[in-house]
Amino acid sequence: MLSSPKAIAIAVFLLAVALISVLGGALGAAFGGGFLGGAVPLIQIPSELVTHIGGYKLVNTVVMFGAAMLVLVLLTWLATRKLSEVPGRWQAIMELLYEFFIGLAESTSGKTGRIFIPVATAIFLVVLFSNWLGVLPVVGTIGRVETTQEFFFHKLEKKLAEGNQTELLEGLHHDVGKNGEGLGHFIASHADSEDLQKYLGKTLETYGEQRFVVFDGGGVRILPLGRGEDYKVTLIDIAAYDIADPVHPTEEDVVKIGRRVDESVAPGPVPSSEFFTENPDKYDGFEGKRVGLLVPYLRGSSTDLNMTLAIALFAMVSVQFWGIKTLGIGGYWDKFIGNPFKRNPIDLFVGVLELVGEFIKIISFTFRLFGNMFAGEILLIAMGFLFPLIGMIPFIGLELFVGFIQAIIFSVLTLMFGAFAIMPHHHPEGDHADGAGGH
Amino acid sequence: MDALGIDLPRLLTFLVGFTVIAVFLRMFLYGPITRMLDQRAERIRDSLDAAERASAEAASSAERVEQELANARGEGQALIAEARDAASRLRDQEVERTRAQVDEMLDRAREEIRREQEAAVEEVRREFAGIAILAAERIVEQSLDEGAHRELIDRVLDEGLDARRN
Repeated sequence: MLSSPKAIAIAVFLLAVALISVLGGALGAAFGGGFLGGAVPLIQIPSELVTHIGGYKLVNTVVMFGAAMLVLVLLTWLATRKLSEVPGRWQAIMELLYEFFIGLAESTSGKTGRIFIPVATAIFLVVLFSNWLGVLPVVGTIGRVETTQEFFFHKLEKKLAEGNQTELLEGLHHDVGKNGEGLGHFIASHADSEDLQKYLGKTLETYGEQRFVVFDGGGVRILPLGRGEDYKVTLIDIAAYDIADPVHPTEEDVVKIGRRVDESVAPGPVPSSEFFTENPDKYDGFEGKRVGLLVPYLRGSSTDLNMTLAIALFAMVSVQFWGIKTLGIGGYWDKFIGNPFKRNPIDLFVGVLELVGEFIKIISFTFRLFGNMFAGEILLIAMGFLFPLIGMIPFIGLELFVGFIQAIIFSVLTLMFGAFAIMPHHHPEGDHADGAGGH
Repeated sequence: MDALGIDLPRLLTFLVGFTVIAVFLRMFLYGPITRMLDQRAERIRDSLDAAERASAEAASSAERVEQELANARGEGQALIAEARDAASRLRDQEVERTRAQVDEMLDRAREEIRREQEAAVEEVRREFAGIAILAAERIVEQSLDEGAHRELIDRVLDEGLDARRN
């Protein structure tokens, strides 16, 4: 196989790519390499704000959910535009899907099982495409830069709200723009307020170690390559590097912090001129750049707990609906408790557990999908960080597989819970589903 | 809840979004596709029924053909047997008739021979009468002894016979 020159050339090329990827990554950084290492972006569970639409905060996971919906509309159009008894490719794929679910439903619940299909397949398709779109390369890497100012603004706002500082909050909302414009000025002008000093200190205490990435400019940015973790600076370094006790700042310190928060927004010496000149080695090359956090415009919608919770709620409400519709409200209630005075205590206890189980299922649904997809996203980021260029390749395949499996699990479990829900109550030890199982 | 990023407007966004897409898929994907599946299942069932009917029909017609073939074969055999029977009967008759004819012919031949014989005997007798007359004439002419008698008769006979022969 290696006899032909072409094969040897390909092998050498692949080896070189692998070598470059190892040297360029985080591993190589320890030996003076790391030229390809991207800075690890902000990883947080809540989805990130993209923009305000009126009073509504549009977040990146909602954007991706919209994308998934568009894909499904497109798929529907492709599958049904030339509907015929001799199916085309798209129609055949969708038929395969529906036949799989119909087969499953009819094998568990007979003809009645068909009522589960629209919901189960909708869950499958929505979850599948949410998962798969989340693996696309543009997801999580292109976004807007959240400035230090904006970050500080939101965190200070949060701390003030926690401390019920309504007066300061009102001032903050009045003087500072939605993205934190003029925050430094506001801080400096309220430097004499002891409450502000206190909550500024608290903010720095909680978020001081937050690390910001250095970007070449503002606006829409791609996660910068090179320098890796070296290209980062903490909030304390930006705003309070020379303050003896940032957690309990004096009036003088607050003025300094305010000024630096505003300074860090404009392209210029970062974090601040004095700090830069005092630490020329650590912050070499930071001059003229801006610091901030990359807020991705796109993030897989199944990495948002709101999304997984919404589908879990929909699924479990549907399950209760099917149960009540098939057995009647009394019959369905009889599955759980029925008449508590006529039931033997063990049976009653099991019934109560099953009733609680219905709520547990919502939680297990929510966190199973979220956990798998969020972990997958972090795995891809970590592999891109450790072995740029090639590290992600096998894991992209893995993520596509996991995305598919999770979609199957979510939808088939919904169907199974439905099948259990429409079974009338017989024995105390039968009819209970394992809500906490799964992947 | 805050650390997990769960908030009501976003949750409602997803809930509404999911409901919309679920209803959309129910109306425009699930409906048409399952209708098509059912329609095809119906079509296949019909085709299978038709095929079954056709094969049953084919089987029954094959049976009929077989039956007819068997009938024809039986009839043929019966015909052949009959023909053979008739032929043998015919041959027997023929043989019988031939034998009868032969017998008749033999009888007739025998009869003829007998008649010829009788006629011949009659003629001989008539000749004899002449010869006897002739002999009597000679006897009358010559007296005769016993020996002469016999010689005379023999000579007459010889003469008679010679006369007949010539």
